Amino acid sequence: MNNDMAVVEPDGGEAQADLVEQAYESLDGKPDLQKPQPQTKWEKWKDNFKRKGWVLVFILPALIYIIIFCYVPMYGILVAFQDYMPGDQIIGSSTAWIGFDNFKTFFSNPNFGTYFLNTFVLCILGFIVGFPLPIIVALLLNSLRSKKVKKGLQVLYYAPHFISLVVLVGMLKLIFGSDGLLDQLSIKMGGDVNGLKLFLSPEAFRPLFIFSGNWQDFGWSAIIYLAALSGVDPSLHEAAKVDGASRFRRIFSVDLPAILPTIVMLMILSVGNLMSCGYEKVLLMQTNGNLETSEILSTYVYTFGLVGGQYGVGTAAGLFNSVINVALLVIANFTSKKLAKQSMW
Amino acid sequence: MKKAIIGISAAVIWLICVILFAVAAKSGSGAEHQFTVLTVKEDAVKDYNTMPVFKQLAEDTGIEVHWIYNTSTQYSNNTDPVGIKGIDAIYHSGFSNLKLYDYGRRGRIVAIDDYLRVMPNFSKILKERPDIQEALKSPDGHIYSLPRVEEMGLKAYPNMLYLNKKWVEKLINDSDKELPAGVSLTAADLVDGLDLSRNQFKAILQKFNEYDMDGDGSTNNEVPLAFVSGNWQGNESDLIASFGVPENREHKTIVDGKITFTVEDEKWFTAVCELADWNQKGLIRSSSFTQTDSDFLARGQDGRYGSFYWWEKDTVLDKTKRDDYIIVLPLKDDDGNRYVGVSNELEVEKGACVVLDACEDKEGLLSYFDKFFEPDYSAQLNYGSIQSGAFLSQKVNGKLIPNDNHGEQSADDFRMKNAPYGVVYLTKEVWENNVQMETRASLRLENIDKYVKPYTFKVADSFATSIPNLNYTQEELISLNTYESSLSNNIASWFATSITGGATPTRESWQNLLTTNKNSLDTVKSINQAAYDRYVAATQGN
Repeated sequence: MNNDMAVVEPDGGEAQADLVEQAYESLDGKPDLQKPQPQTKWEKWKDNFKRKGWVLVFILPALIYIIIFCYVPMYGILVAFQDYMPGDQIIGSSTAWIGFDNFKTFFSNPNFGTYFLNTFVLCILGFIVGFPLPIIVALLLNSLRSKKVKKGLQVLYYAPHFISLVVLVGMLKLIFGSDGLLDQLSIKMGGDVNGLKLFLSPEAFRPLFIFSGNWQDFGWSAIIYLAALSGVDPSLHEAAKVDGASRFRRIFSVDLPAILPTIVMLMILSVGNLMSCGYEKVLLMQTNGNLETSEILSTYVYTFGLVGGQYGVGTAAGLFNSVINVALLVIANFTSKKLAKQSMW
Repeated sequence: MKKAIIGISAAVIWLICVILFAVAAKSGSGAEHQFTVLTVKEDAVKDYNTMPVFKQLAEDTGIEVHWIYNTSTQYSNNTDPVGIKGIDAIYHSGFSNLKLYDYGRRGRIVAIDDYLRVMPNFSKILKERPDIQEALKSPDGHIYSLPRVEEMGLKAYPNMLYLNKKWVEKLINDSDKELPAGVSLTAADLVDGLDLSRNQFKAILQKFNEYDMDGDGSTNNEVPLAFVSGNWQGNESDLIASFGVPENREHKTIVDGKITFTVEDEKWFTAVCELADWNQKGLIRSSSFTQTDSDFLARGQDGRYGSFYWWEKDTVLDKTKRDDYIIVLPLKDDDGNRYVGVSNELEVEKGACVVLDACEDKEGLLSYFDKFFEPDYSAQLNYGSIQSGAFLSQKVNGKLIPNDNHGEQSADDFRMKNAPYGVVYLTKEVWENNVQMETRASLRLENIDKYVKPYTFKVADSFATSIPNLNYTQEELISLNTYESSLSNNIASWFATSITGGATPTRESWQNLLTTNKNSLDTVKSINQAAYDRYVAATQGN
């Protein structure tokens, strides 16, 4: 994770070896035949592996998982360049390669610009609201004195994470939908008989989508920051207290710098997934009234590619989305390296 | 430790039992059958393997078919149902034109026209009905699926306007209520076929909205006019059509041989503005644009609708409320004319059944399916078998007579459980000679003939007609997929936001809709026109 560390370790090792060698030589002025011979890199690696190799077993499941479920299916992107139907050979003599035709079909869709913009705006807004929220919540929870209150609030905050999307959208409709709770209240208070029409309004779609998503996930996302905060050395807080730092000052001067590497790393990962809004919740919340803002690339991939049977075009759209995600990831990593001296690679 | 050993032993024994049971079940279910067909069926529908109609088919043909099932959700989640191992055909495949062609040209489903020699009934249909033959063809000229043909003349007119006469009677009789100015009705006028202008109807709806019509102390829970926007039946199309435009839910129809988009008509824009006004006044609730048909049906049972569009009232209303509603004629416009559009719901559907290339005896299976086109089988497949009580056991004048008495069960429930639907051939000739229509279908047809059909939109002597099942080339299909989906999204979005947005839509926004979608409108129109011209050329003179 930390590149600087990775560079320092071998240098430190070599310097240590030099010191040891000097120490042997200083004993009698002559090289000692019993002193350990310098090892080649390969020998060092072998030696290390013999002594600590078993540790690798721990990463094996994750490695297998990533290879099977992330790398192996990647050959599926070839479908974006084929006239493909499920059941066809992806690589074989009967494969119908059609070059960039699927991309042409995708880009020539009259609504391509709208779908792209909708995806971008929805995801960017979601990121702007959703990224700092768990950090703030974690910092606030961490500064609570009562452990019981802290635990209680933590459970209360992350419990919504376990609600399924269908149930969540059902709840949204019961509260914000036609004839829902808010509509009933508004009508009772003398408002329009049509209610607030939130599910029919293109303007209301994004706030509803983003805030419901964040309500569901901010507590869960805060867990990792809480874990990072638990590693902060209490003596730093004690010292800050002695220096007269207020609780607020300690959050900024002790807690926040301590979890900064975690924040940066998660931010880079989030930016890498920026354009990946799932289609399920959007589709569930979609009405003709909010189509103007709710039709996004992933719903297009689903309706056009999967339901409409245009698998090649759907894959092309998905690949386009992924390329943008990778570009964003690289930009975020580069920016972070320059500004915060933290990066993934 | 002891507990753990007991636990593990119990789990192992349980696992062995499950495996043994599964093996036994597998070997026990090994009744001899020649074909396995996958069908899309919900749990509430009876097992096809026990349905008398399929037993009778097996006796008649000597061919045993074993049916296996997917629910519609399972089926729609399967991206490659044709690839399922061990099946010979898919019943209720629901494949689109493009999917049929894509599977067909890869040779994964059978070109049925290659096997017409073993399908006397289907061959005869194709010879007698070139329109059906044309409708079934794929871009390469092959027929890849068996059709469902149910020609009752009902689908083209899926909307009928019903009015709550009890509420109108209250306006006439109650001292604290009054009929709107310009509407003079007596209780005697409140019968099916009520003649109202659009303005009179609107005025009545305003009164429904103003008063506590259901007497529950609240004036907010009455719904003056309800429908399900964009649904195949009970939608707002005929209300828009009353402005003199042949509207349907796709905004696309044929007038005088030309493919026409209603959205381009000035009158359509006027209609949208008026509907926006109705929404602002609370006559049309915004829920009509978000509710599903099941929401609509559930909400209507207790008679809270002042009026509604649906193709019959029995499914919308509880038994006790059905007599409270009457049929209103299509609303008159300012010039005293009435118009209704025609829907594009087709009575000839592709994709009812496909036979897979993996089937080892294609001729055998297709000769079995060919039997489905015989009138007696078609009727039983569509409504339920004679033995299950869907029809009387004795024919009258050579015709199968439907049994309307299903005890406690509604006719809909009975049919849903007992009829497999799918491949049927029920045409005007069949209704005349072999099968009597259900009473409720006859009634619906009678009402359509009396109250709706005569007002079909026409130019000179040319009536608006549904767009038939057209045969597109591969390029046309791909273009249509691209342009039509974006076009219908944009129109649906503008339509819903304009009506429910709380303000009258501006002419600029409408023109902007037309301008930004001009390319799509022109492309979709020209593709459909070319396909329709080919269709006419192929079927003319027959």
